[in-house]
Amino acid sequence: MLSFRTNSDKFLLGAFIASVAITLLLILFPVVHAIQLSFYQSESFVSERTWIGAGNYLRVLQESGFWRAFGIGVTFSVLTIVLQVALGIGCALLLDQPFFGRPVIRGLAVLPYLLPTVVVAVAFQWLLDGSLGLFTIWAEELGLGRPAWFEDPVMAMVVVVIASVWTWTPFVTISFLAALQTIPKSLYEAARVDGAGSWNRFWHVTIPMLVPMLMVIVLLRSIWMFNKFDIIWLMTKGGPLSATEHLPVMAYRRAFMQYDVGGGAAVATLSFAVLSLLILVYFYFYPLDGKEGNK
Amino acid sequence: MNKRSLPLRALTLVAAALLGLWSFFPIYWMIVSSLRPERDLFAPPTLIPKTIDWKFSAYRNLLELTDYPVQFANSVVVALAVVVITLLISVVIAYVVTRYKVPGKTAIIGSMLYAYMFPPLLLAIPLLSIFARMGFSDHLIAVVFAHCTLSIPLGVWMLWGFFKAMPFDLEEAAMVDGCSRAGAFFRMVLPLSAPGIITVAIFSFLLSWTDYVFSFVLVNSDANKTLPVGLASVLGTFDARWGELMAGATLIALPLFIMFMFLSRYFIKGLAAGALKG
Repeated sequence: MLSFRTNSDKFLLGAFIASVAITLLLILFPVVHAIQLSFYQSESFVSERTWIGAGNYLRVLQESGFWRAFGIGVTFSVLTIVLQVALGIGCALLLDQPFFGRPVIRGLAVLPYLLPTVVVAVAFQWLLDGSLGLFTIWAEELGLGRPAWFEDPVMAMVVVVIASVWTWTPFVTISFLAALQTIPKSLYEAARVDGAGSWNRFWHVTIPMLVPMLMVIVLLRSIWMFNKFDIIWLMTKGGPLSATEHLPVMAYRRAFMQYDVGGGAAVATLSFAVLSLLILVYFYFYPLDGKEGNK
Repeated sequence: MNKRSLPLRALTLVAAALLGLWSFFPIYWMIVSSLRPERDLFAPPTLIPKTIDWKFSAYRNLLELTDYPVQFANSVVVALAVVVITLLISVVIAYVVTRYKVPGKTAIIGSMLYAYMFPPLLLAIPLLSIFARMGFSDHLIAVVFAHCTLSIPLGVWMLWGFFKAMPFDLEEAAMVDGCSRAGAFFRMVLPLSAPGIITVAIFSFLLSWTDYVFSFVLVNSDANKTLPVGLASVLGTFDARWGELMAGATLIALPLFIMFMFLSRYFIKGLAAGALKG
């Protein structure tokens, strides 16, 4: 471990302090400002603000819309996370097997994750277009009529969940694939020597070794899926009749469409408070100065 | 492992084919739709296009009649600026934190990880308020700064893991051999950490290139939009111009696919590090 002695050390120290300061300014300032905005009433982003204390919070929390949006967010997160994790583990186990053409399939399996959300939203809207969408036409040919994908509240949720699972499952797949490759081969050998069949080796070696990764993934995915604004906004705008309006969409509507900046900031801050709980759980289980530690 | 039975191997192949189909089909359909002549778009679709529009009308319309070329340039400029700023700042922070006695280093790294989990709107609402008061509303600079609020924490977090794992002895050996501290850094540390730095560069590029939320909130005029926001507004204005929309979507995705072809191992490494926002 070094201390700052020479000139180049001091130069680096200066660069370090400047970098930390810039980063803090970039991140801390907006967050503090968001919390500050949530205590004021203002008509727009540039108008004069009036301090109203906890007024925005009281107003927001008393609305049934807030709790409804909260529930919708939880539903969306739980559905997408369960599906992503189940499919992701399945894909990882599959891609861990040797088979002809594996590199190609591995590459293809990652592609959806690279796509910008807007591309995913546009591609799915085209597949589901009411008159020309391929899936709509197939559904009709199968005798299911023309499904009202985006007009039916339940169907709209199903559609955003499927699109989300499609693009974000590769993250889970790759993470578990990496975890599978860190399992020491000697464990399988030992199990084999002990007479464990392939099912037992899978159940008693593979699965327990994947549990730590499962915890990390579920926490990270929960944090991100609960935050997700773009996929829902781009596909349904929170509709039909706010059937897919979760907290991020609600915060956006308030701040940018109803010009209720304080209310929007209050909703965003509240969802941040919920997330902070999850993040604290993450830090509790994965402390930064834990096993790996800072040297 | 190679002695698996034939049915099991067949089953694996079928499952792999299904996975490939599931992952690639919407992308395939997007590209095919962008290449079909307009009259075919209104006919019942066929999985394999009957005719391909070799004049690329959808692409031409998009590039000639809309602000798409400007928006492409905006996206490139913003993403490159984000990559450069992110690398400069995150290399310095991560390196100093892993190599020097710095008080509160765990707090610094912890707050980076914390920051990279923030809800985007929690940052977007105050950022618009701040930039609007500073006179930077509807300005690409605002978008660059906004993307840096995500990419710097990501970069520090990834490089921290990277520098931590890199043996300290190498630099010490170089310094014993007469290198200055800076010399050791530039001659030993930077080249050896190139894979980590490339991964951070790719992921900050990806983050900026694919971002919708921040650009959507911070920029209004068509000429200042980045590609994702530009495409979303085509969705609004060109009602049912699906050919152009699919062409636009393909144009955003294409650079990423090309990057992936050449740099896939860095993508996989970054993903496996659990390191991309999303």
